[in-house]
Amino acid sequence: MRQVLKNILSLEDRPRSEKIGFIIFIVIILVFPWVVEGSYARAVMIKFLLFALFGLGWNLIGGYGGQVDLGQAKNVGFGAYATALMMVWWKVPFWLTLLPGMAFATAESFAVAYPMFRLRGHYFAIATLCVALVWKELFVFWDWTGGARGVEIPIRPTPDFAYMQFGSPIYYHYFIFLLFIAQLLFMNWFRKSKLGYQLQAIRDNEEAAASLGINVTNTKVITYCITAALGAMGGSFMAAYYLYIDPDFVMPLDLSILIAMTVMVGGAGSMWGPILGAAILIPLDMYLGAWLGGQKRLGIDYMIYALIMMFIAAREPKGIWGVFERMRRRR
Amino acid sequence: MELVTQIVLYGILMGLIFALIALGLSLIFGVMNIVNFAHGEFMMVGMYIAYILSTTLHLDPLIALPIAAAAGYLLGVMSYHLLVHHILRGPMVAQLFGTFGLMLFLRYLAMFIFTPDVRSVGQGILVGKTISLGWLTFDVSKFVAAGLSLLLFALVYLMINRTKLGRALKATSLDAEAAQYMGIDTKKMNALAWGIGGATVGIAGALLAHFYYVTPTVGMLFTLIAFATVALGGFGSIVGAFLAGLIIGLIMVVSGQYVSELKFTFIYIVYFLVVVFRPRGLFGW
Repeated sequence: MRQVLKNILSLEDRPRSEKIGFIIFIVIILVFPWVVEGSYARAVMIKFLLFALFGLGWNLIGGYGGQVDLGQAKNVGFGAYATALMMVWWKVPFWLTLLPGMAFATAESFAVAYPMFRLRGHYFAIATLCVALVWKELFVFWDWTGGARGVEIPIRPTPDFAYMQFGSPIYYHYFIFLLFIAQLLFMNWFRKSKLGYQLQAIRDNEEAAASLGINVTNTKVITYCITAALGAMGGSFMAAYYLYIDPDFVMPLDLSILIAMTVMVGGAGSMWGPILGAAILIPLDMYLGAWLGGQKRLGIDYMIYALIMMFIAAREPKGIWGVFERMRRRR
Repeated sequence: MELVTQIVLYGILMGLIFALIALGLSLIFGVMNIVNFAHGEFMMVGMYIAYILSTTLHLDPLIALPIAAAAGYLLGVMSYHLLVHHILRGPMVAQLFGTFGLMLFLRYLAMFIFTPDVRSVGQGILVGKTISLGWLTFDVSKFVAAGLSLLLFALVYLMINRTKLGRALKATSLDAEAAQYMGIDTKKMNALAWGIGGATVGIAGALLAHFYYVTPTVGMLFTLIAFATVALGGFGSIVGAFLAGLIIGLIMVVSGQYVSELKFTFIYIVYFLVVVFRPRGLFGW
């Protein structure tokens, strides 16, 4: 037990510069809402934390596992819909909707994972994409999910902790920060766990891993399910924070891609990569998008995204973190 | 009976068009084992060329066919030299993201130039004309598109199996390293595969624009349909792509007859089932 706790909290295998950087990062996030007054800047910060959270989750299967999953949006959607529908239908407090959403995402992923992991590489990526699209089309098609109109969570007259409705965005900031830290600690444990090492062995050489007695399919399936649950957790937060969801908002292909991209840009398979990626892409998206949208110049922000994506793919497959590591090794 | 015949014929016509779209994807995958996510966007370029010719220049959109072919060829070859060549040696993740980035770039370039508005080709010899065969009625444009698809398939098939260039292409797809030892310039072959892939799908786009609306986001759906088609036919198999196109067309039209909102859902499910239970497709090797 003490060993597990130590594994969760300890960063002792990381260099000192990383520890200092991490502490500075935490302090910035903690004081941010007290220093910055602008509501847009606060919204950007919350979105950054949300996507860092998504990225950390996706990094399990996509980074440490090396399996390109282009369907994470379906899990975000499950979480968001579980929260929204349960709050609207039965007035269930937010806190009790978190687990059902995560459980559903896990169960669904478990059901599709075994056939899916018979596939590798491109075939797997396209299969995840197809499954996510099927779910999105079903959520648009069905009436009980609100169809394309989506679900609106009614606003309560007074701020209510049980339903996650607060008068100030500061509370959302600290709540998503808590989820983020929890997930970061989980990742810190995961990368040093048996499962984590098995997964990385599979990524590096599947045949060799199998010959060492690692159950390749089971390891991938378990990771895939954990990733799904983490995505659903972020989805639940999205529903409570934005108060309105529809399939185009919480389940689109673009969301799956953005999640995968934050990880790729930052550095797949590294601890800090997803956070770095989100720190670059989300402010870029929100400020550039808002500025260009005001100028009626649609599409430029995504073209810049696409150029970054192609450049990273061609020149730096390990992302920005890979550049840091190379610089450090050279010194 | 009338309805059944109409549906089957319509399915075959659509299927031939899907097959034409899938042809290039299959070729590219066969030669260098890489999936082109931007395939539908190459098609979109062909569609916009037809749109510009018909609306801005008041020419018949049929003239767009050779232009779209040339533009598709150029786009394919350029994509290969500027991007694909550099990501081929990288990990699979990088390959996926490379062509995905290309897809996003083309899509949002179109959005930048043409705005997200839905557009359609308004006039042309074939636009809006129908033909009656007894009690069956069809769009002329779909007939022509299906006919041209047959013709192009025959051309590509002959080119690959009968000409020296085609044999070199086939050799590259079977074993790139061995082909290189035989003195085949495999880099040129790769570029050629991308060129032919872009040209055929560009023509498909120019034809499709005769009866399908154009938006910057039209490509994704057709890319996915092409993936399903190619997976069903067997990645790399040209005959497979042809037959699978027909099957996919029939599935889409028949399911669209009953639940029109979910007609594409069935195609995704077909892809999933095929790759899981028969990964080499119906005719793959």
